[in-house]
Amino acid sequence: MSTTLKRVHGYLAEFDSVKDLYHAAEHVRDAGYQRWDVHSPFPIHGMDDAMGNPRSKLPILVFCGGITGTMVAFTLETITQTNFWSSIGLGFLQKIVETYPTVVQGKPTDIWTLPAFFPVMFELTILFSAFTTLFGLLALIGLPRWNHPLFVSKNFGKFSDDGFFVCIEARDPKFSQEGTKSLLEKAGGKNIELVEDEI
Amino acid sequence: MSHHVTFKDLPQGGEKFEPAKGGKLIGTFGLFGLIGLAASAFFFFKNTDTFAYSWLFAVFFSFTFVAGGCFWILLHSASNSSWGVAVRRIWENMANMVIPLAILASPLLLPAVNRPLYEWMQHHDHAKTLAEHHHTSVKAALHHLVVEGDPDQHLAANPHLHVLVAKFGYMNVNGWYIRFGLYFLILWFIARTLRGKSVKQDQDGDIKHTIKARQFSCIVLLFYALTVTFAAYDWLVGLDYTWFSTMWGVYIFAGCAWSSMAASILIVIWLRSLGYLQKVVTDEHYHLMGKLLFAFTVFWAYISFSQYFLIWYANITEETRFYLTRNTEGWRDVSIFILIGHFVVPFLFLLSQQKKKNTTYISIGCLWILFMHLVDMYWNVIPERGPSLGQGVLVPYAWVQDIAALCAVFGTMGFLYLRGLAKYSLYPWRDPRLIESVNVIN
Repeated sequence: MSTTLKRVHGYLAEFDSVKDLYHAAEHVRDAGYQRWDVHSPFPIHGMDDAMGNPRSKLPILVFCGGITGTMVAFTLETITQTNFWSSIGLGFLQKIVETYPTVVQGKPTDIWTLPAFFPVMFELTILFSAFTTLFGLLALIGLPRWNHPLFVSKNFGKFSDDGFFVCIEARDPKFSQEGTKSLLEKAGGKNIELVEDEI
Repeated sequence: MSHHVTFKDLPQGGEKFEPAKGGKLIGTFGLFGLIGLAASAFFFFKNTDTFAYSWLFAVFFSFTFVAGGCFWILLHSASNSSWGVAVRRIWENMANMVIPLAILASPLLLPAVNRPLYEWMQHHDHAKTLAEHHHTSVKAALHHLVVEGDPDQHLAANPHLHVLVAKFGYMNVNGWYIRFGLYFLILWFIARTLRGKSVKQDQDGDIKHTIKARQFSCIVLLFYALTVTFAAYDWLVGLDYTWFSTMWGVYIFAGCAWSSMAASILIVIWLRSLGYLQKVVTDEHYHLMGKLLFAFTVFWAYISFSQYFLIWYANITEETRFYLTRNTEGWRDVSIFILIGHFVVPFLFLLSQQKKKNTTYISIGCLWILFMHLVDMYWNVIPERGPSLGQGVLVPYAWVQDIAALCAVFGTMGFLYLRGLAKYSLYPWRDPRLIESVNVIN
């Protein structure tokens, strides 16, 4: 199929061990590359530092998600069970839904019945945090997707077994056919290949 | 890895602490301890009744650190962890403060001290004299007080005492004394054995000590849990014999683990500021310890809220007394302050990784945590004083005695602890997993 158009995805290099991969990552980081990644069968402690990755933004999202959960639970419970919103002058909110206090064991129907609402506030905090964690993570890492250009490489299949890889992508501003290849060679990379993606 | 520390980078023979270097802090603790002891002796003879509560508060506050240190070494060994090897000696020494603690706690054995604290003992004493008089058992005499009272002393039948008859199997004076000794014996046995193995390893570097410590810890964890639980029942719940809560033991344990972790972070920071542990402890250890601190902030809140929640919701008379006392007058503000200061503030503060790794921030956080733990313990013990002694909600000026007792017990314990650091290397320098701990990344 000589007419198929191909696009260079990047250079893929294989490394023998975690240690080699770690040092290679430090090399690539120090060379100033931005668009690149390492692939290993298991998480490697300290790899974030070796790659020079900035801190993830996920915690901030999760914090906001958690606070939202607390607030949602608080609002839903106080609006249906207490006179809290009328007492702070926002009585019109109370008209949106039916306020129907469930009085148990002589508990009050004002804000001081709050402890009864803690379990739900706690649960919704957890639920919203968990959802934000999962969906925030998927959004940040760009999943789900149908395919990845690296799957073109036959050698790359080892990444889920015993292979350690570095891939420097062609969209990196510092990427060059020779320079990037020699950098990976110097870092001790083996089976260096130019991965080309079919368009 | 690039900054990998090997055994050769660390000083041979570990690091020995020289008390002269940390003289300022040690001296301060010693001075407070001395002044506190003198003032305590004065108050003890002047107001034995009210001072008993001060002393119990101070002793129990210090007890939580010993129990907490004991927990951390147990957990560390039982879970086969390696990250904390570099700071383990701090906990080992903390747990081994059990002997000075037992000496400082011994005044609680005096009837003059424990009778004002525990009303149930007074009833038992009364029943005992009755029993001797009528040649029956103490329990039968107690039952007699419930149904018929004591006509000789013009006491009517007192149905409230029925709970004492029902609890007699556990709650009796002899049992209380035996358990008092057992608690210290068990803690001492655990602390001594684990530090003993660790110190032996300093000499021969044999891994068998690590393995033995693990086996030992798995077995004694249960006894440790029972010790902390029942010590908390005997010393604190006993202040109001009508009250009961199955959450109590865990609640106290959560406070133990929380405060002792905060204290150990402070000690590590202090030692590092004096030039010790430079290569052994890294930011990662602060982060790991900070994470545990965070975990126990949440755990404490979960447990204490569960206890409050169940009692508040069920609204059963004999259970609500504890919280009613602490919802009266000024204690209500303290309760709300604990909710915010013991949970909300540390929770939000400890969320951020940077704050846990920054020694200035985490020191402030840990000092705050120790302060809140102090407030929590105060709130547990002291509100019983006024009502139990029939002196209103708050006994006027009794807080001076509380401070004196606190200085005496905690000052002395702190002084002895910091001086005791000099006895062994500051970290188990021949532990086979020390290097793993030094290079830990999380």
